[in-house]
Amino acid sequence: MAVEVRVKIVGQRSTRRVKVEPGTTIAELLKKVGQNRETVVVRLNGRIVAEEEPLKKGDLVEILPVVTGG
Amino acid sequence: MLRCSFCGRRAVYHRRYAGVFLCDRCMIKSVERRFRRAINQNKLVNPGERIAVAVSGGKDSVACLHLLHNYCRGKRGEVVAITVDEGIKGYRDGSLPLARENAEILGVEHHLVSFKSAFGATLDEMVRIAAKRGTGLNPCTYCGVMRRHLLNQAARELRADKLATGHNLDDETQAIMLNYVRADLSRLYRLAPIYAPREGFVPRIKPLREIPEKEIGLYVLLKGIKVHLAVCPYASGIHTEIRDFLNSLEANHPNSKFMILRMFEEIRPYLKEAVPEFEMRGCERCGEPTSTRLCKTCELLQGIGLAKRRKKLISDGDS
Repeated sequence: MAVEVRVKIVGQRSTRRVKVEPGTTIAELLKKVGQNRETVVVRLNGRIVAEEEPLKKGDLVEILPVVTGG
Repeated sequence: MLRCSFCGRRAVYHRRYAGVFLCDRCMIKSVERRFRRAINQNKLVNPGERIAVAVSGGKDSVACLHLLHNYCRGKRGEVVAITVDEGIKGYRDGSLPLARENAEILGVEHHLVSFKSAFGATLDEMVRIAAKRGTGLNPCTYCGVMRRHLLNQAARELRADKLATGHNLDDETQAIMLNYVRADLSRLYRLAPIYAPREGFVPRIKPLREIPEKEIGLYVLLKGIKVHLAVCPYASGIHTEIRDFLNSLEANHPNSKFMILRMFEEIRPYLKEAVPEFEMRGCERCGEPTSTRLCKTCELLQGIGLAKRRKKLISDGDS
């Protein structure tokens, strides 16, 4: 059964709620929300983590765009 | 929990192009090692040298300042920071205080030069004039040419041996692709870790050239270094298209950016013969080195009815 995680893009006001299958990785979530993993750093529940970490119900995923170019 | 491939601590990064996971400590060490390797392999810095660092307040330039400051301290060298205020409302005003703050934290001499005082107009004003006159040139043309002009002049006036910029792997691969697309051999040839064109130019070095932009972002976050993370409002067109293309290539095919750089390095020695030699002289208007009657900055200024105002950028005691 799908679980809900909270997704916040740092610098934007709102936090989205996204439904994912249990065990979905952050990398898969990034694809789903249209973010390129090469351009962001991700904090999972306040800690910077590798994008292969699996998600569980209620997780807070903060996406920090760090690739600004130029 | 994913663990670091080297020490077993919690991983913060999956370096897919190398097939390893890294924890915070190993990630920081790895970036610092790559920085030192780039300097040593390409002889970017010699002991006792005075290095001017172009610091905008963004992550790349601030990381470059911190890394070079630590490196030069151990080599009896010295670092000075130069910030160019192009005058981009809502963008540069956010980064300037961070450039100053980081220089202060490190105890590094900091100099600010601006388009407004040097050329009599901010970039925003130049863009408006250029649009009215229909020059057909985009803001990045004015900004890039004039920023390089001021950085070189300021570094020379500060008697710097080298001018360091925060160009990273992404910047380099984007520039390689852009110059391919534009078939610009001369500019392509200039893309080297160290480039010293001629007398009057301070040799430019790029010690972050082999570090992906994302890893520099991660490095400053892990080190707790305060930086300005924002996108220039003028960023558009082919530059951003190439950036997005390379990032999606890297996401689907890890190591693509390094391969583009490595291939270019193989080709570069052969370009020397294809790039025409040019004779240097002083610009008729401002005296800065150029191969033509007017330097590119004075030519662009002339096109929008402006002229360089200040001959000397750094006055004694100016910081």
